[in-house]
Amino acid sequence: MIYLDNGATSFPKPYEVCRAMCRALSTCTSPGRGGYPAAMEAGRVVFSTRERAAELFDCDAEQVVFTSSCTHGLNIAIRTLVRPGTRVVISGFEHNAVTRVLHLLGAEVTVAGRKLFDPADTLQEFEKALKAGAKVAIFTHVSNVFGYILPVEQIAALCRKYKVPFVIDAAQSAGMIPVSLKKLGADFIAMPGHKGLLGPQGTGILLCGRIPSALMAGGTGSESRNPEMPAFLPDRAEPGTLNVPGIAGLGAGIQYVQRQGVDAILAREQEMVRRCVPMLERLGYRVFAGENQSGTVSFVPKIDCEEFAEKLAGRGIAVRAGLHCAPLAHQSAGTLESGTVRISFGHDTPIWKIKEIEREFERI
Amino acid sequence: MKNEWLITFRSVTYAQRGERILQRGKIPCRLQRTPKHLTERGCGYCLQIRGLDAPEAVMALRRERLDYGKLYALKEDGSTEERVL
Repeated sequence: MIYLDNGATSFPKPYEVCRAMCRALSTCTSPGRGGYPAAMEAGRVVFSTRERAAELFDCDAEQVVFTSSCTHGLNIAIRTLVRPGTRVVISGFEHNAVTRVLHLLGAEVTVAGRKLFDPADTLQEFEKALKAGAKVAIFTHVSNVFGYILPVEQIAALCRKYKVPFVIDAAQSAGMIPVSLKKLGADFIAMPGHKGLLGPQGTGILLCGRIPSALMAGGTGSESRNPEMPAFLPDRAEPGTLNVPGIAGLGAGIQYVQRQGVDAILAREQEMVRRCVPMLERLGYRVFAGENQSGTVSFVPKIDCEEFAEKLAGRGIAVRAGLHCAPLAHQSAGTLESGTVRISFGHDTPIWKIKEIEREFERI
Repeated sequence: MKNEWLITFRSVTYAQRGERILQRGKIPCRLQRTPKHLTERGCGYCLQIRGLDAPEAVMALRRERLDYGKLYALKEDGSTEERVL
């Protein structure tokens, strides 16, 4: 199989990830729940992943909260900052993991910047909304549909200028584009563990620039006599038994990313897109490409997207078709009716595979 | 006097950060559960260190601005006495 759906989850995972998970399953119990060797080993494994993540994302270890997914992290972040009627500005490329939460909470939402690959427009629209009185800003780092890299540093600077708290959805950037909690000054940055960080599904990280509200309550192995959730990180946001094997795998994934280098991974994936776009255009598809693009590219083929993806699957090529859980992004790009076919390259997609991909595409 | 001391922390993560700071400063320590009578709010972890290292350990934690709970000297009979440095 030629796997081109790394935007959904990276696959296959590095061998080290599988090994770390197996090891954790046979050596670890639960961290913070005892002083015997297996509990202490679990604590060591979890803390070492926390430290690795803190190093990669430029923050303190306790600011790294383990979640079950990016969506979980976004829920904690958004529910901390948003109440019914809160005026929130979001980008025109948000995932349902943001828009559905805002809808559920009854926020008053302004969509800023709907032009693809146009950072100047994105910035201008964000500033307009912030000036108009938005109380919270939430924006994705990279569009999961189109690979548009938003100017997050500049949007973050605007938020700081207008003293508006903000959340970054790093679902498609963590492990592929440098992210620094300290430099961005974000209130929260949410990310999955199983995409660019190469960990297993069911893992995620929420970087906390402030103390979050307790979305869930439960045991933390600390302050057990306190009826309230602890007021400190990471315990406040980590009730219940942690996914130790998953976190062990995530730690190995982060280590792998650090060895490869985030910049090198991005450069490689972008090179794949640069080679792929002319091929797609030659075949007469409507391709969405631009200057600020990650390792993801979307296109509208000449036949129905789902049918196209199904034919590719029959030929051993895995891509994703449809709305990619981001109807807002499709609305912005004018593809809400058709949807798109998305190719998302991974850290290890061989460059020579482009020729093979082209051959298969030509046959459809 | 046993000449061993305990530095308490509010959670295992803080205790682990403390352990890392002391390891970097080449101060021997052992991460363990905090004895029940020393946990005001229940459940915690502490670092056990040699008495001679106590001032240096406390300084290292303060330099890194890591919050710790309290410092206790362990007595021969197993009891503890809070100390302030």
